[in-house]
Amino acid sequence: MAAHGNSAASAPSAAPRRLATGAAAAAVIAYALITLIPLLWIFVTGFKSPPDSISYPPKVIYRPTLEGYVNLFTARSRQTREYIDSLGPAATWYDRLARKRNMVITGPSRFAGRYMNSVIIGFGSTFLAVFLGTLAAYGFSRFRVPLKDDLLFFILSTRMMPPIAVAIPIFLMYRKLGLSDTALGMILLYTAVNVSLAVWLLKGFVDEIPREYEEAAIIDGYSRMQAFVKVVLPQMRAGIAATAIFCLIFAWNEYAFALLLTSGEAQTAPPFIPVIIGEGGLDWPAVAAGTTLFLLPIITFTVLLRNQLLRGITFGAIRK
Amino acid sequence: MASTTPQAQPAARGPRGFWMRASTLSDRALAWLCIAPTIALLLAINIFPLLWTIYLSFTNYRANQPGREIKWVGLKNYKRILGSEDIWGYMQTTASFVCTTMIIQTALGLGLALLINRNFRGHGFWTTVILIPMMLTPAVVGTFWTYIYQPQTGIFSYIVNFFADVGPLDMIGSVAMAPWAIVIVDTWMWTPYIMLLCLAGLRSIPPYLYEAAEIDRANAWQKFRYITLPRIMPFLMLAVLFRGMENVKMFDMVVELTSGGPGSVTELASINLKREAFEKWKTGYSSAFAVILFVTVFGLGSIYVKALNRVKS
Amino acid sequence: MTIDNANTNGAGRKRRGWVRRGPCETAAAVLIVAGIAMMMQPFSMLLYGYSFVTILTGTLGFVVVSHFPK
Repeated sequence: MAAHGNSAASAPSAAPRRLATGAAAAAVIAYALITLIPLLWIFVTGFKSPPDSISYPPKVIYRPTLEGYVNLFTARSRQTREYIDSLGPAATWYDRLARKRNMVITGPSRFAGRYMNSVIIGFGSTFLAVFLGTLAAYGFSRFRVPLKDDLLFFILSTRMMPPIAVAIPIFLMYRKLGLSDTALGMILLYTAVNVSLAVWLLKGFVDEIPREYEEAAIIDGYSRMQAFVKVVLPQMRAGIAATAIFCLIFAWNEYAFALLLTSGEAQTAPPFIPVIIGEGGLDWPAVAAGTTLFLLPIITFTVLLRNQLLRGITFGAIRK
Repeated sequence: MASTTPQAQPAARGPRGFWMRASTLSDRALAWLCIAPTIALLLAINIFPLLWTIYLSFTNYRANQPGREIKWVGLKNYKRILGSEDIWGYMQTTASFVCTTMIIQTALGLGLALLINRNFRGHGFWTTVILIPMMLTPAVVGTFWTYIYQPQTGIFSYIVNFFADVGPLDMIGSVAMAPWAIVIVDTWMWTPYIMLLCLAGLRSIPPYLYEAAEIDRANAWQKFRYITLPRIMPFLMLAVLFRGMENVKMFDMVVELTSGGPGSVTELASINLKREAFEKWKTGYSSAFAVILFVTVFGLGSIYVKALNRVKS
Repeated sequence: MTIDNANTNGAGRKRRGWVRRGPCETAAAVLIVAGIAMMMQPFSMLLYGYSFVTILTGTLGFVVVSHFPK
């Protein structure tokens, strides 16, 4: 802040102040590094061999291997040494990795499919939520809507609903409509969860665009809708992008509905990652590999969005 | 609008059909056209199921026996829940989880925000690093912390033993430590949330207030007590309300980390609700439980929206 | 309200103050928080039994009160 800088320069106590700032920096950096330890640990575990991952003391220096990733993406079966020797030389590097553990790769695992489900459901629901949200945000921002505040409150309040409170009837409803365990059902559900955030965030962005632009366009002979499409939408591009990323992250992270309403076909990755089973308990390198692959996109987006985060987590109430 | 030349222009280049019709609609109709789809979706996927939950909460329905006759039982389900020592216990577990996390996170978050607000070189980068856990998938976070918490081989136990020789630390398996296991993970994830809002509060304080205080020879504590604290209070309220609400309905992270165990020391209300609804299939009973939980969160939520609007204006 | 307005000025203002939004909202919010405290306190089963009614009253009250004029 300017006040600190100015007074630090003029006050006689400049040296202790600089010292205090240094201490503050050290404390914050220490906290940030502690925050990073679990994430880095998971990242490095993805490149360990299963025995290395459960060694004591925990190994910081080890021989990296892609076994975790191979185990994540393949289904294997244990075979006798003789049988493996009778197969002839391994054709690929991942075959070779598996055979070192007396395993034979029998096919791809279900992880890729679950990950694709997450992508499809995430993007599908994001697109729908942002589309509906943009329309509604424009409506709320520019027109006189009766009971506007109540409707906005209603929209936001749907987000606060505990998922379990509506999961039972949705489960029954989807069973009746044949939507349970389908991507379409999950897309609709996640759209409903995200549309409240989209409306509130986008309304903030529309409010920031001066009405004069549209009024000028309307005077030029555009209709309301044309003015919206040709004048307002281009101005909202950055806002729409930020909102879409938020919706994508929330759909990506959702777990309760996915756990309760999907089992096979449309299951997303979050309920699947914890049940990646190895021999004798969880296969930690494979779990860590799956976790890394699943969290990497979110970390990237978080870093990209860092200046919009505050806005996103307060539903657009706090702008800066 | 009235002049002829510009009116001809968009008609020539504008797309036909829908837009032509849309251009003749009144503002009122357009407004509803914009808003109605969203409202309809929310009514279908949120409000209709909610009403259904409320209806089911007065019945003895069981979803795994669809053929069974549905009987209206009045307030019996509610009476059972509000008279059950077990559920009361789960509520207390939830409360101690919410209170502990809120106190620790507020202290840490506010502290970090005050430190970052000194604007040392590179504070932007380190702030971003601190923010990362906030957006991660709670269920996946819960999963990988079970690995970090492994008593013999986990890094958490190793680091603790590096500083204090306490032997293998079974965070998830021991009755004494399991509540702290979920508190630590929640703190790791959500301290940045409170920090970010506190930081916003600090940035909103005009510098001249501090300059005036300096002229009045106020000491650091007085400046904090009479300028900083009142100014960031609304932001802090917002953060605590929202996090409190989220933690009252906390489900995914704790399910994956401890799934309520050992015994039921980390059995939060919503985890127990899931058990009653989808493992024991007591649909009517758990619907009443769901309604109770919903009203609690909704009550907090309406206060939150109030606070939100206050901060906004 | 009309009768209040016909009253002496001071009394009328006082009566209006009671119906005004701010204090009512605060009261409803206090009721909600009290209900939640009752639900989650570890001391009295009796209080726990009445907690839901308290929260429900507070919440419904809050929704109604927020439609009062400012």
